Amino acid sequence: MLNFKEELMNENKNISRKLINILVIFVLAPLTLFLSWKVGAKKYYLTSVLLIIYTMIPFFLSFEKRKPQARELVVLAVMTAIAVASRAAFIMLPHFKPMTAIIIITAVSFGAEAGFLTGAMSAFISNFIFGQGPWTPWQMFAYGIAGFLSGLLFSKGIIKKDKIPLSIFGGIVVVFLVGPMLDISSVFTASSVFSFEIFAAAFVAGFPVNLVHTAATAITLFLFSQPMFEKLDRIKLKYGMK
Amino acid sequence: MSEKLKDSFSAYNPLINFVFFIGAIFLGMFITHPAYLAVSVIASVAYLLTIKGAATMRSLWRYAIIFMLVTLINPLFNTAGETVLFTVFGRNYTLEAIFYGMNTAAMLVSILLWFSAYNLIMTSDKFLYLFGKLIPGISLILTMVLRLVPSYQRKASQISTARMCIGKGADNEKAVDKVDNALTVLGTLTSWALEGGIITADSMRSRGYGSGERTTFSKYAFEMRDRILTAFMGVLILCVVYAGMNGASYVSYIPTVEVADISDFYGLLGIISYILFLSVPTIINIKERITWHILISKI
Repeated sequence: MLNFKEELMNENKNISRKLINILVIFVLAPLTLFLSWKVGAKKYYLTSVLLIIYTMIPFFLSFEKRKPQARELVVLAVMTAIAVASRAAFIMLPHFKPMTAIIIITAVSFGAEAGFLTGAMSAFISNFIFGQGPWTPWQMFAYGIAGFLSGLLFSKGIIKKDKIPLSIFGGIVVVFLVGPMLDISSVFTASSVFSFEIFAAAFVAGFPVNLVHTAATAITLFLFSQPMFEKLDRIKLKYGMK
Repeated sequence: MSEKLKDSFSAYNPLINFVFFIGAIFLGMFITHPAYLAVSVIASVAYLLTIKGAATMRSLWRYAIIFMLVTLINPLFNTAGETVLFTVFGRNYTLEAIFYGMNTAAMLVSILLWFSAYNLIMTSDKFLYLFGKLIPGISLILTMVLRLVPSYQRKASQISTARMCIGKGADNEKAVDKVDNALTVLGTLTSWALEGGIITADSMRSRGYGSGERTTFSKYAFEMRDRILTAFMGVLILCVVYAGMNGASYVSYIPTVEVADISDFYGLLGIISYILFLSVPTIINIKERITWHILISKI
């Protein structure tokens, strides 16, 4: 009987969570697009940021609704802090940012949701150090989605824990997802028109930075993913985590 | 109030600070009328001057460069507009596109300026005060991360010092060895951090985390002056939006420049409300400074 009640309550929670998600995706997002079109003054940046925020809301809300336990919170906090602090460990190599690699490793070890949260929060918190700006929502989204995608593809068995495929995957994620997303954000903030040309120009201008970022991610995953998985598995085994 | 920043505005409730910055940034993105943009840039510089003094002026050239670059690059991609100045690679470089570029550049610069003030005023504890109730789990993680990052940085430098002592450091070596060394440090740090994290988590559970409503400590109060200021700012924002809905901040650059007149009723209402709203923190700071001088002179 009790179980049944609990199940019913969980069911209700699921429904309300889904309702919020549906509300955000099918009502709020089209409404924003409609208003933006109606105002007609080409508020590209504002519209895009609002849409990005809407996409992130369901992730955070479903995490809150689940009432996460202490261990889950702490593991997320530790992995996020490691991702943020990893820049300090590489202080002697400028532009070498292993943050994306650590987010991917976290996502593979702890799942898609943990990947998204670690990615989004690392971006947000590192901006407390490096400065918040119009880029913050874009960075949160780019790193969050990179984490989410890695976790999802791993759980579907599409990517494996082997170091060579994983570092290739990491490189692809940076070249085709994180890098372009950050370039698009600079186009949205600094351009008055949107055409294929301006995005192409932004990609070309951002290419050197993206290249270093890609190399950093792939190298970190190549050298670091296996020892890291060992350590994470050891901790999971030692303390009986799922 | 921080001692380094001479800012009285940040002594108000964080909600006031947050509403002000969100208002300034969102209205700044939304309203691209040149007069409004000028107000936004001037107000943000004035506010930064009251916080940081002369150091603001020294950083302004960076914003000037951003402004010039964005202004000049935009017409390369935006070829619409009636007044063709010259052609680049067979493409029109038009006067309207330069104006449009200036507009975009001014918007970007004003947003960046407001963000640089935001970064000084909206410290992480204020953010957590505002969102702690709304997203308790996430805010708890944020709190922990903000405390862990400096501690991990210290630990990382301890680990690398220890490695140097046993001859495993990477001082004058190749980049490959440096990366390898840094990754080893990071791995050691991760093990240590996760072990410590598990202890923290178990301690949290044994002390009853999640068993009831979590209370939060905050040093902020919502006083009478906060209420008055909230109402004042709310009215001003509404006036700006209302005037804007009546076309007071209309502007269009392509094909020809069309700018709404700001000397009629709605125009004046909008621009004056905007000026008042954006000068709130500056006025508070100047008022406080004057009061302080009067008090000192009485002694």
